[in-house]
Amino acid sequence: MNNDSRKYVIALMVLLVSFIFTVRLFYMQVIDDQWKDRAAEISENKVITQPARGVVYDRNKEKIISNVVYYDLRVVPNQAVGIDSVEFIKLVDMSMEDYVKTMNAARKYSKRKSSEFLTQIPPDEFTLIAPELYKYPGFFEVERTLRVYPKKTGAHILGYMNEVNNTDIERNPYYKSGDFIGRMGVERTYEQQLRGQRGVKYYLQNSIGVETERYENGKYDTLAVQGKSITLGIDWELQEYGERLMRNKLGCVVAIEPATGEILAMVSAPSYDPNLLVGRRLGENYLQLEKDTLLPLFNRAAGATYPPGSTFKLIMALTAMQEGVITPESGFSCIKSLVGCHNHGSAGSVSDAVKMSCNPYFYQITKKIIHQGKSSNGFKDAAIGLDIWAKYVQSFGIGTDLHIDFPGVMKGFVPNTAYYDKIYNQYGWQFETIYSICIGQGEVLVTSLEMANLAAIIANRGYYYYPHFIKEIEGEQIPEIYQQKNYTMVDSQYFAPVIDGMWRVVNEPGGTGGRARLDSIAICGKTGTAENFKVINGKRHQMTDHSIFSAFAPMDNPQIAIYVYIENTGFGGTWAAPLASLMIEKYITGSISDTTKENRILNANLIPDWSDIQPPKKPRSQRR
Amino acid sequence: MRNQSDNIVADIDWVMVLLYFLLVGLGIFNIYASVYDPDHPNLFDQITQHGKQITWLGVSIFLGVIIMLLETSFLKKYAYWFYGVTIVLLVIVLFMPAVNGARAWFGIGSFGIQPAEFAKIGVALALAKYLSATDHSRSRNIQSGLSIIPKFSLTKLPLPALMILLVPAALILLQPDAGTFIIFTSFILVLYREGYAGNVLLFLIVAVIIAVVTLVVAESSFIIPGLKIKLSGKTGIVLSLITLGIIFYFVIRSFVLPRNRGGLYKALIGSLVVAIIFVNFIEIGYSKILMDHQKTRIDLVLGKIDDPDGEGYNINRAKAAIGSGGFFGKGYMKSTLANENQGHVPMQSTDFIFCTWSEEWGFAGSFSLVLIYTILLIKMIIIAERQRSDFTRIFAYSVTGIFFYHFMINVGMAIGLAPVIGIPLPFFSYGGSSMMSFSILFFHSAQIGCRA
Ligand SMILES: [Zn+2]
Repeated sequence: MNNDSRKYVIALMVLLVSFIFTVRLFYMQVIDDQWKDRAAEISENKVITQPARGVVYDRNKEKIISNVVYYDLRVVPNQAVGIDSVEFIKLVDMSMEDYVKTMNAARKYSKRKSSEFLTQIPPDEFTLIAPELYKYPGFFEVERTLRVYPKKTGAHILGYMNEVNNTDIERNPYYKSGDFIGRMGVERTYEQQLRGQRGVKYYLQNSIGVETERYENGKYDTLAVQGKSITLGIDWELQEYGERLMRNKLGCVVAIEPATGEILAMVSAPSYDPNLLVGRRLGENYLQLEKDTLLPLFNRAAGATYPPGSTFKLIMALTAMQEGVITPESGFSCIKSLVGCHNHGSAGSVSDAVKMSCNPYFYQITKKIIHQGKSSNGFKDAAIGLDIWAKYVQSFGIGTDLHIDFPGVMKGFVPNTAYYDKIYNQYGWQFETIYSICIGQGEVLVTSLEMANLAAIIANRGYYYYPHFIKEIEGEQIPEIYQQKNYTMVDSQYFAPVIDGMWRVVNEPGGTGGRARLDSIAICGKTGTAENFKVINGKRHQMTDHSIFSAFAPMDNPQIAIYVYIENTGFGGTWAAPLASLMIEKYITGSISDTTKENRILNANLIPDWSDIQPPKKPRSQRR
Repeated sequence: MRNQSDNIVADIDWVMVLLYFLLVGLGIFNIYASVYDPDHPNLFDQITQHGKQITWLGVSIFLGVIIMLLETSFLKKYAYWFYGVTIVLLVIVLFMPAVNGARAWFGIGSFGIQPAEFAKIGVALALAKYLSATDHSRSRNIQSGLSIIPKFSLTKLPLPALMILLVPAALILLQPDAGTFIIFTSFILVLYREGYAGNVLLFLIVAVIIAVVTLVVAESSFIIPGLKIKLSGKTGIVLSLITLGIIFYFVIRSFVLPRNRGGLYKALIGSLVVAIIFVNFIEIGYSKILMDHQKTRIDLVLGKIDDPDGEGYNINRAKAAIGSGGFFGKGYMKSTLANENQGHVPMQSTDFIFCTWSEEWGFAGSFSLVLIYTILLIKMIIIAERQRSDFTRIFAYSVTGIFFYHFMINVGMAIGLAPVIGIPLPFFSYGGSSMMSFSILFFHSAQIGCRA
């Protein structure tokens, strides 16, 4: 055999190799898409430009929420060689355990691409880190904007932001893992307006993740749209003053502008600096606040319900007059066998009764509302009458949806016929069974916001706007709902005697709210005291009553309606009334005339000492 | 052989010249895209790789013209001298400072010269001269390379010829430069053509199959169903080979005349023994001798490991670049992976130059390039076959073998069919040494082509 035939074998080998290559190339380049995806994964990237979040102003256009540049530290594991980790963790203030964990996670993600290492370093901390960073190759910073609360006030109103969770992402596909969302307060209510629209930039990156050019010349890029700024009805100075006054006290203060329904201040004490819940220490600080037994995170103004006490009597008087069961001049004697009372002169009119807060008086008028004789059967009569009563109470916004632009607002509770039927069976009860509702005890529950709104209703002589925080939204109308008047079932003419009584509460000798008196401003108010119980070691103890004061001022053309509620401090006139007057004076005049009064409140530490579980000896019936 | 006075220009194989300039032109064009630097956009800028490559092309053409003017007899005459010089260079280079872990370079400014590239020419010349002189090649009539039973005709290769091959191969292994070493196995093609290697080629194919199977299963183990005996992969292969041997035994007993059986039995037993020794050799070589990174490269090709961002980074990026090209590619200078600015594909202007081309020109481009190389190789075989002198034929086949190997391994590596071995794609990869040596080889081939 001749070797010449072998040339065909060699040529065949060449053709075979070329054929295999062609098939392989055709498969890789034309049929199989995995390499296209892989190439995109390797070479393309996008940066999200987070829009600056909208700024929040108070009613005087002071910035109360603004943005500040924070820093994220990122690392490219491949480049981070020869790091003195001991020095490094000291510099950035993290534990060795966290350092190792984060570094390993970064390596696992990619050795060549950067990963987040430490996020949200506040600017003051970063100025210490920045000059040292050159010693640690592979680490670099990225800016991000976070919230700052320059007035350090109004934490409960403003709320806070944190990272979205899976539920948020499921609920709204706008959010991507790592985004921040308004979690509480106004940040949450106006999340959509404040957040703006994020921008996306697609680019090509090189092997170390550095951008080299725009993808398709930016065809798919979008610009970030800044969030809308909003203005709140809050007066930050009043808010701050309220927080100062409420220091070392538990409770809340809610102030509303009656003419608009705008909330001027909402203090819940104790409070905290809203800046604590920003940045890398958010979680840590949150836990700390959450552990505090005084519950600083709890918004008492919106989230707590309790019996209203005597301030509730105002609704009884108004309802009785509107129903025609009494006239403004009706007098009732103080029959202490019906319900306890303190010693006072006889109440010869509605105004007197309000001034003296006479319990038997309100017992008798409420009985008249409920037992109007619409049925000869007393039980049936009560059933008909209570529903009338409940409708009146609800028309004052109690126990109804006040459409407040705020998350986590509770509703009070107004018992009606159906409710008592469930407890006592149908026609199994009448007024005497449930009488304590007439003095704001028993089953009635309210929130402070509802009670502040009640003060605003009286100031307006019969109507209210839904209380709200929002005043203006950039390029947008505020919701229609906040511009409509809501009328109570009581005509405005009946408010005069009640208001007269409230004026006398503050301004006449023998009034329960004398400590609220101001020379310059005619304040109308009503004291209240709410019983409360605390379960300690499984035993229900009656605690010192909550001190309550409800007021508006000035009497004519009112500018502010206020509700003050201080836990476990006793009689409403002692602490709540003077505190309310300071708030009113501060708001209307901008200064305080009586510094002795101011200092008395500022210096008082009224936080109850629960270690002393001896319940206070106080006759239950003493309500004013 | 024609006389020198004949008109050279008229005799030039213009198809070869056309192929040469086509490949070199496309190569420079492609290097430009691969390493484009906006600060140095000039094609001829000597700071850039495309600029240097053009310079190397100039030098190569100059060398090519000289070669065209030389008598073939001159080359034949000085073949051993040339070989000797390259051997000396290979020895000297071992005392040079190491670049990337290998003592393979003579540095001249920013230009580097790799003597191993020229050693291939030396070996081709010396081998051609020796074999043509010893009169073995034509007279030797060995059974067809396609007969079933391998005969180890390599032993019949004269010792000097073997030494011509092994000495430079050993020196290159000392550098170490595995890539160029592997290229030396391309001379088996020449030997095969000349009747020496005989069934070595078939043997080689069988060996490669056994080696691949061994590497894939050697470290694994399996359980024979029903017997509950756990066997190592290697034992499994040996048992399979023995089973195969027994089958062949029965085949021979049933179909072959008794008088022919004896030799076949001996061959069968011999083959079996050699195969079993070979399996052990591969297994030990793989696990004990190869360094970890070499093992990894083999494992990556065999698909035993998948580590796209670690060990498999190079090949993963190369495949992504090629695979993302689609049918028509991303367009000239529009690659997103295989260019220096992006830097995803390593060595994209040299070993992985095929990636830039395939990413930017897609399957249309990559297929065209494969086609051009195929035409070139077939054309080179035709030229070699046209030779009437043993020397020129052997030399031309050596050149063909070298080109074929470079093409096969370089492209095979980029598309994941061969392990990552750093060898250039002829005329396409950036690099002075390869440009010159391929040009010299090519012009030799073209020259003898036109004088056939
Ligand atoms: Zn009384």
